[in-house]
Amino acid sequence: MELKDINHASTYIIQSQEEEIKRIALELHEGISQNLYSLYTGLEFIQSGIGQPHIQAYTRELTELVNRTIKEVRLLSVELYPSTLMTLGLSAALKSYIKLFTSTFGVIINIKTVGIERNVSEEKSLAVFRTCQEALINIAKYADTSEANLSFTWEEESLRIVIDDIGLGFDVQEAIDRKLFKGIAAMKQRMIIAGGDCHLSSSLGKGTKVTIVLPIRELGGV
Amino acid sequence: MECKRNSPNNDDLVNSFLLECNLLRENISCDFTGIAIQKPDELDIVWPYVSGNRNEKYKYLTVRYGKGIAGKVISTGSPMTIASFPNNIIGRSTDYPIMLAEKLLSAYAYPLQFKGVPKGALLIGFRDSRTFSQDDKDKVQTTVQKVEALLASNYFGR
Repeated sequence: MELKDINHASTYIIQSQEEEIKRIALELHEGISQNLYSLYTGLEFIQSGIGQPHIQAYTRELTELVNRTIKEVRLLSVELYPSTLMTLGLSAALKSYIKLFTSTFGVIINIKTVGIERNVSEEKSLAVFRTCQEALINIAKYADTSEANLSFTWEEESLRIVIDDIGLGFDVQEAIDRKLFKGIAAMKQRMIIAGGDCHLSSSLGKGTKVTIVLPIRELGGV
Repeated sequence: MECKRNSPNNDDLVNSFLLECNLLRENISCDFTGIAIQKPDELDIVWPYVSGNRNEKYKYLTVRYGKGIAGKVISTGSPMTIASFPNNIIGRSTDYPIMLAEKLLSAYAYPLQFKGVPKGALLIGFRDSRTFSQDDKDKVQTTVQKVEALLASNYFGR
């Protein structure tokens, strides 16, 4: 198998995975959630018509359980696929994810935006989103820091995102030698498929910096 | 340490929760103790009272019901042990934010009941791998009873 074929295969695998994740997320949101909501309203109706207190209390418990399940399914759906990417765009989806990230890991992300946001296709937005997501999760897992920065720079022909922290950092060469670079290689591969690039630099005790670049063409974006 | 965001207004009550965390940490000589509480009528679980924390991340943490060590203890109503994080855990390491935030490698958590329903968890943690003795678990249970009595007097103002 040649290198070109391997790249095509990994592109196909990543795209297939994303399509499947999106399908499951939409099915959860638009199928299962809707059915659960019908159950919820039905149970509320039944509850109001029951005279026996113990059965009414049991129905109330069931209603609460269904309500909790609706919330869980909704959160799982958003976790799988950020539907705001399609409706509100990349910046809004990332800002929304960062809010969730801070409440999940307790790490505060300072956001800075320069320039005016441009239209980016859903496919390319998703590549950038997933790459940022991976970089942020790496901060939560390994950087041992309470704060990090994310900056968007919207230029005429490109979008540049820099995510940096002043956490533990690591020896990049050692990580490559010990084959601990799989996640970062996947980030780079995603960005290459999207027509952009991803670069990482790090040094022990000084922190890590991830730079993501995505070319943008005029007239309707990319 | 105390997180003002979700704590009751009563200063004495806050100090009582913190005192129990501090006493338990000294008693077991563990690195970290914390109380997680589920918000009323919500899925969210917060960490309002901790002792031995390395940073302030706990103030921002919100865990989902059923997720992480606190979420699992509350949803199952049973104690949970992690001996060597992230080995042999259910789910991903990112599902256990308190372990990541406090760099804990082992933890034991016991459910806290309010009106007979699990609504919180008391956790002890170490920054090295270890198994927990029956003596450690007994000490946790003694503190659980005291914390449950405090919760009974004020669970988010109820």
